[in-house]
Amino acid sequence: MRRLAIYLGLVCVAAVAVLPILWGLSTALKTKGEVVTYPPRWIPNPPTLQNFAVVLQEPAMPRHLGNSLLVGLCTIVVTLVVAAHAGYALARFSFPGRQALAFGILATAMIPGISILVPLYYLAAKAKIYDTYGILVAVYSAWQVPTTMWLMRGFFEAVPRELDDSALIDGCSRWGAFYRVILPLSQPGLAAAALLTFIFVWNDFLIAFTLTVSDSRRMIAVGLYQFVSQYGIEWGSLMAAVILALLPVMGLFLLLQRRFISGLTAGAMKG
Amino acid sequence: MLPAVLLIAGVSVYPIASAAYISLFQTRYLERVAFIGMGNYRRLLSDPAAWHNLSLSLVYVFGSLAVVLPFGIGVAMLLNQPVRLRAFFRTVIILPWVVSQTIVALLWGWLLNPDFGPAIYLAQILGFGKISLLSNPRAALATLIGVNAWGSYPIAVILILAALQTIPAELRDASRVDGVSAWQNFANITLPLIRPTLLVVIILLTLLYFNMVTLVFILTGGGPVAATEVLSLRTFNEAFQFWQVGYSATLGIVIFVFNVVFSLLYIRVLRQEPLY
Repeated sequence: MRRLAIYLGLVCVAAVAVLPILWGLSTALKTKGEVVTYPPRWIPNPPTLQNFAVVLQEPAMPRHLGNSLLVGLCTIVVTLVVAAHAGYALARFSFPGRQALAFGILATAMIPGISILVPLYYLAAKAKIYDTYGILVAVYSAWQVPTTMWLMRGFFEAVPRELDDSALIDGCSRWGAFYRVILPLSQPGLAAAALLTFIFVWNDFLIAFTLTVSDSRRMIAVGLYQFVSQYGIEWGSLMAAVILALLPVMGLFLLLQRRFISGLTAGAMKG
Repeated sequence: MLPAVLLIAGVSVYPIASAAYISLFQTRYLERVAFIGMGNYRRLLSDPAAWHNLSLSLVYVFGSLAVVLPFGIGVAMLLNQPVRLRAFFRTVIILPWVVSQTIVALLWGWLLNPDFGPAIYLAQILGFGKISLLSNPRAALATLIGVNAWGSYPIAVILILAALQTIPAELRDASRVDGVSAWQNFANITLPLIRPTLLVVIILLTLLYFNMVTLVFILTGGGPVAATEVLSLRTFNEAFQFWQVGYSATLGIVIFVFNVVFSLLYIRVLRQEPLY
């Protein structure tokens, strides 16, 4: 009886979680006529891939997906390189003001995006990097580095110092010890940080909307929004576009769920 | 180390200082016209719209918390039960977490569509008639809160579940043997043990909700008639719709101050309470 109640509860919550997404998918698979049927029907009859074909044939959507992928990957590289070195320095070297610096960097994470949009816009315009991939990567990385650095520092501190020492005795340089011994051991942390960074970039709207303007630099979230405002709303193809934008992050999430959750909880609790 | 400092100095620290600077000027488009000191801040205090925005923000934050916290605790406790398919349910239930605010807004905009949406159909069957939730000034904010809850409850579930899993099963079983009711068990054992996590969740979500622009911008645009124009959206609109850059920077600084206060609380909580 109690077991049944638990299952019932879980099924209800699961339904709440997925029905909005399934409704989007169902709409994406409907013909134009069926999209505007009332009362609404959940199962498309006949199902069609027409909407997906329309969305993918236009050059805009694949380009926006590509932009988000490119900027996402670049941001991962910049964030991890910068944050891993900083995290290692904080974990292993003692230098004056280390603690203050660590907290100072972390403190920048409490600057909300909305408060600095205007200055970032000025900055981008003045530095003539408005509407480039570069400004996007720079801003996204700067926002991801504090928490990632903190996360990496935690990972590095969990690796015993003796490992550094023995690598140094075996003739590795400081850099060698870091790259050959410590970094490989911290792979789970790097992977979790990379995933969270990618999702963050892929899902961001505000920065991309503010700092880019041309279609060739447009990120996927802005592309979806533009989709609505430009053509009036064609719900079938809009939902096809939404599902396409959702697939990569959802796929990553389903494949690597454990990493996500460990990264998120570590980020919130240790950060 | 140095690259991290430079990057962050350039893209986080400099801009917030620059925002504070810009907020002291009267601006026309991107030009600073005149230094007016605290003028923008004085204007803010006597701007009834800004107070309206702030009160909407507070309703939005506390309304969303009031939905998400009890729901998050309940779901996390369900997921903490030793039943089969638990991993499957956990995956499905936290799925909305990867759905971006943009997509949440688009999906729900379509679900709530007053002509063809299933939500309206459901309302009609239940006898509410064919109402348009998002174009009714009184219902719009409540609807927005509901949609926001859908998009953000997974964070609460993940963190609370992680905390619950660290509570030894013996503790629960022992009290059950002692004949303690389920409710007392929850109130006297579970709740105190997850209290630090709950505080963290509350602060994280408060910041998320208070600073949120994207979801509101895309779903309602602040309408109907400013009924959902929260402070963060107003800040965005002042800058990028009306090009009142100086005033927007002023609003941004107010939001920043609010964030600092809440972040300091967060740090206090993390330092004082033992983590489970």
